[in-house]
Amino acid sequence: MRASFVFSEVSTGLRRNVTMTVAMILTTAISLVMFGLGLMVVKAVDLTKDNYLDELEVAVFLTDEISKKDTDCTTDPCVSLKQDLELNPAVDTVVYRNQAEAYEVFKEAFKNEPTMLELASPQAIPASLQVRLKSPEQSGAIVKGFTERQGVSLIHDGGETVDRLVDSLRVLRNITFVGSLVLLLAALLLIANMIQISAYTRRTEVGIMRLVGATRWYTQLPFLLEAMVAGAIGAVLAIAGLLSMQVLLPSGFANQLENVVRFPGTFYTAFVISPILLLTAMLISSLVGYVTLRLYVRH
Amino acid sequence: MIRLENVTKVYKTSTRPALENVSVDVGKGEFVFVIGPSGSGKSTFLRLLLREEVPSKGKVYVSNYDVAKLPRRRVPRLRQTIGCVFQDFRLLTNKTVFENVAFALEVIGKPAHTIRKVVPEVLELVGLEGKSDRMPRELSGGEQQRVAIARAFVNRPLMLLADEPTGNLDPDTSQDIMLLLERINRTGTTVVMATHDQSIVDSMRRRVVELDFGRVIRDDARGVYGYDH
Repeated sequence: MRASFVFSEVSTGLRRNVTMTVAMILTTAISLVMFGLGLMVVKAVDLTKDNYLDELEVAVFLTDEISKKDTDCTTDPCVSLKQDLELNPAVDTVVYRNQAEAYEVFKEAFKNEPTMLELASPQAIPASLQVRLKSPEQSGAIVKGFTERQGVSLIHDGGETVDRLVDSLRVLRNITFVGSLVLLLAALLLIANMIQISAYTRRTEVGIMRLVGATRWYTQLPFLLEAMVAGAIGAVLAIAGLLSMQVLLPSGFANQLENVVRFPGTFYTAFVISPILLLTAMLISSLVGYVTLRLYVRH
Repeated sequence: MIRLENVTKVYKTSTRPALENVSVDVGKGEFVFVIGPSGSGKSTFLRLLLREEVPSKGKVYVSNYDVAKLPRRRVPRLRQTIGCVFQDFRLLTNKTVFENVAFALEVIGKPAHTIRKVVPEVLELVGLEGKSDRMPRELSGGEQQRVAIARAFVNRPLMLLADEPTGNLDPDTSQDIMLLLERINRTGTTVVMATHDQSIVDSMRRRVVELDFGRVIRDDARGVYGYDH
């Protein structure tokens, strides 16, 4: 196989249908950006889950009466609630958080939002028993067993919040995947079209090649490589796009998100997502190329 | 070199067979005209040898290949032993004379140093020395056909198939092309030429296989175009 021959065939082929090639590259790139975003969200779901599950707590909020009277959980019903919780096999530790402490936690959580701080006062925030579980999945049992107990006003299950968050991330992921799939289909059709046009404009060459006894590799490899090169350029553009999105995202916005959702960093994009995108692009373009040649180009 | 045994070829779109029970034997180094009116089966005859088509019935042998039974991946090997020339030259208009001839070697993976050596030799053989950097459009019809012949012959095939090679040329130029084909034939290359050109066939006095409605109606060792008896 003469590499220089194949190379020059590929480069003339790409230049000959330059509008088609550009269209195909851009479609591939955008489709892969969406696919990449989808992969990032998948990773974000995991990271976010881990992040929350590490510090996942069930907060058993106590009634106003207890909150005001009992600042260190020494009287009933607080004491018995705490003891019962500690005896529950699913529970790891139980910590009493009185109103003053709760207010500190609140101030810390909303330090960037002065309006919220103005609205709140230490008296408005109830005391709670912060329950850390041995395994987060059992939070439902605690909620069930203690909601009706005397002195309990409300039980906040941290797990539910995470579930809701994860659910909405999954919706986002599905949207990006469906979008990328539709665009990928468009890219596929463009690849197929590109190869057909390319084969048509080069029909004399291919005809001569067949007659003088060139093997299928020689007649078809240029077309296949043409599709693969275009696909690879699309993938490189998509990777550059994803990375620059991550780098150029205003840091304020990123920090704000970071409190809620954990997104993977550029390292993950560069070394996990990029190879996947590149491989996908090459694989799909060569596969479509192969099938198109089989169907449309006689050997 | 070439043997057709009771070959019938029926195209799906046609009710009448393009070739019917044709048996022809061509020895090594022979020069054979295949003649007959349009639609008589000349082109089908050539296409069967190239394995552009497979026979509906019968056997086709080219050198040592059982052409119809040849697996697809070995077809290129068969075609490397056959050179082809057409009425419409089929040159690549964006390549020079040299590049057109070199192309035939490049695509079968011949090394560059071989190409640099062999292409000028064959251009000299066909009488185009000094024109290797011309573009096809700068050449006359006869010269273009010489390029096509050079390309067909550069890989030293065992046989040369020519489908109406003089069809687009004036009589004098046609005569030159025939001389060239004769010279190639003298190197031991079998030449099979399909043609309409009566004067050429008559002047050459070579073997003539005449087809009519897909059947061989005449096979003369030293024939002329028309019936001269």
